Amino acid sequence: MAVAIEDLRKQLREKFPQAHASVPVTEARSSARIGPMTEPFAPHLFPIGAISEVIGAGTGMLMASLLGEPEKSVDFPEFVLIDGGDGFDPASFSPGACSRLLWVRCREAEEMLKSTDLLVRDGNVPFVLLDTCGIDPRELRRLPASVWWRLKLAAESNGCRLVVMSIHAQVPCAAVRLAMNARLELADFDLPRQELLRRLSVTRERERRSG
Amino acid sequence: MFAALHFVDLSVHAALKASPTAWRQPSAVLALDAGAIVEKVKLPLLAVNDAARQTGIDAGWPLNRALVRCPGLQVLPPQPEHGAALLVEMIALAETLTPDLEIATPDTLILDLSRATARQSGKLDWLEMADGGELRHVRANTPDLACLGVRVADRHGDFISPQTIQSLPLEMLGALAGGSQLLDLLENWGLETLGDFMRLPRQALTARLGATAGDWHDLLHEKKPRLLKLHRPPENLTQTLDLEHPAATSETLVFAFQRLLAPLTARLRARHVAARALRLGFQFEDGAEMERILRLPEPRTEALLDPVQLLLENLKLPAAVMGISLDVETADPEAAQRDAFKRELARPQQWQETLARLEALLGEQRVGIPEPPGDHRPDSFQLRHPSAAPAEKDAWPTCPVPLRRYRPPYEIHVAHAPGPRPLALLSGPYRGEILRFRGPFRHSGNWWDETAAWQQMEWDVELPTGFFRLAYLPPERWCLEGDYGSSEH
Repeated sequence: MAVAIEDLRKQLREKFPQAHASVPVTEARSSARIGPMTEPFAPHLFPIGAISEVIGAGTGMLMASLLGEPEKSVDFPEFVLIDGGDGFDPASFSPGACSRLLWVRCREAEEMLKSTDLLVRDGNVPFVLLDTCGIDPRELRRLPASVWWRLKLAAESNGCRLVVMSIHAQVPCAAVRLAMNARLELADFDLPRQELLRRLSVTRERERRSG
Repeated sequence: MFAALHFVDLSVHAALKASPTAWRQPSAVLALDAGAIVEKVKLPLLAVNDAARQTGIDAGWPLNRALVRCPGLQVLPPQPEHGAALLVEMIALAETLTPDLEIATPDTLILDLSRATARQSGKLDWLEMADGGELRHVRANTPDLACLGVRVADRHGDFISPQTIQSLPLEMLGALAGGSQLLDLLENWGLETLGDFMRLPRQALTARLGATAGDWHDLLHEKKPRLLKLHRPPENLTQTLDLEHPAATSETLVFAFQRLLAPLTARLRARHVAARALRLGFQFEDGAEMERILRLPEPRTEALLDPVQLLLENLKLPAAVMGISLDVETADPEAAQRDAFKRELARPQQWQETLARLEALLGEQRVGIPEPPGDHRPDSFQLRHPSAAPAEKDAWPTCPVPLRRYRPPYEIHVAHAPGPRPLALLSGPYRGEILRFRGPFRHSGNWWDETAAWQQMEWDVELPTGFFRLAYLPPERWCLEGDYGSSEH
């Protein structure tokens, strides 16, 4: 069955190349290394109306980079964090950074996906971070792929950036997949956060054109 | 033409209704704390009656000074319920003349007499309250001028015009909106009467003192006509529905409420009002009743079923429902223009609904904006509702790498040297020799309270599988509190 589907996909791709614009980029580009960060993660790294995936062990640094260290609190959150394993630590961030975040504390994968679906469809905060690192990998593997496709469609229709943070790749329809490597040593814990962010190594594993 | 109708000393009459024996004695209205020593209270009197006024005191006098002048003064607490009843009686009297009236203040009405006949207008002189009390009235060409003129005691029944108010004192402007600072300035200029103020050139006055002074000038010269904010009696929008069969499921109730919401929406739209809150009533099979109030995030006329459905889905009913009722609190619909320079929600109604759905799904204290702790206790934080104002706190993270917390933390066994100094993790999800560590970081709090006192030591430790935070809670508990990005869970 899998071979037949692959054949069908191949034939369709050859017959309608324009309709398959969202194919993976060439091999040389697919493993493009962004290298050490010259500046913190910017939202424009993640396409609008698509799912992006950030994998690796340093996803906490992604949060730190996105939230920054603003001195003043904002009136309204700019990011939503759906915290699958309820592991976010507010004390690791400044009050100004925390004020930019709506924190949704989940206990299991089902709650996490339902919350994500609600917030992506809401569209009032168009940057949703989904942290699956705290969820049992076996529970994550049991999720059908259709879940991610449904979220992708919801993100597309609402113009929402959905960034999935996980240890291993799991989103089949991710438009962008970045692998992070913080390469930390214990001595680095005495350095300023900005210095650690500059040393953050990011590799682009996948990039699809929008479509 | 407009008329202003004023109930003189309404608050005193309302207070005296509760104390009928004090009618002829000097009385004043003032809210006092229980046990207060009246001779030491310096609060200004809210209102006084005629008997008190004859002794030389008036509203605004400090109580301690008033008692020196009038030792027999009775201090009565305000009675807002009786005041409201007197206002309703006054409105009923005024409606015998015209249905178009505005409640200018709790003791003053403005009546639009433009459509009233001469006979109806003439009845103004014969209006009387049932329990006594002085009703004062004046006529004028503009509502605001009438409202201003009715406060002058000796102008009862007069027609107020720019010519007739010239001799009135300048302090009367204090009753207008605009603030007392402007009035002080005018008095410093040497102005004494309204006529002095009216003779000033309007353009120069506005240029020096702003738009408020220009408004006052227009008002006194009858150049500020406006429409009345008409008073309309509150309308009852309550609906009830007796169900043919007892309903035990939320789907049936949603369907029943949908039937009530459709006409309600139409009635709200026809009246140009919006629903601020819905009252859902349930009559159960066993005769019991229950009511739930559903506060909407902002007044609206559409999409009322969604919050009702959400409420019903999460409602636990003690018995089958035999009948339902639906009432509504109304408010003016939101008509504010969006601010181009301020970040605002694209769909605020949708946002509140999403938050309510999340709370129903996850429970309380699971959704909100995290606020760092006010103390040093580990994993202490507050969740703020997104609509609440942020609290300015000054707490900066001590570690540059964000921690991923385990909630609850893993209780583990640790091999340690005296001190204590951790050597290896013997149990728990991550075991192994501690290669390097950073710490200890000592925390403690509530030392002044034996029952609530706490202390703990923390280390950032490096294991072969990653970096972790280890905590020691005296006398012998060890916990793994979180990781800084371990390779596996």
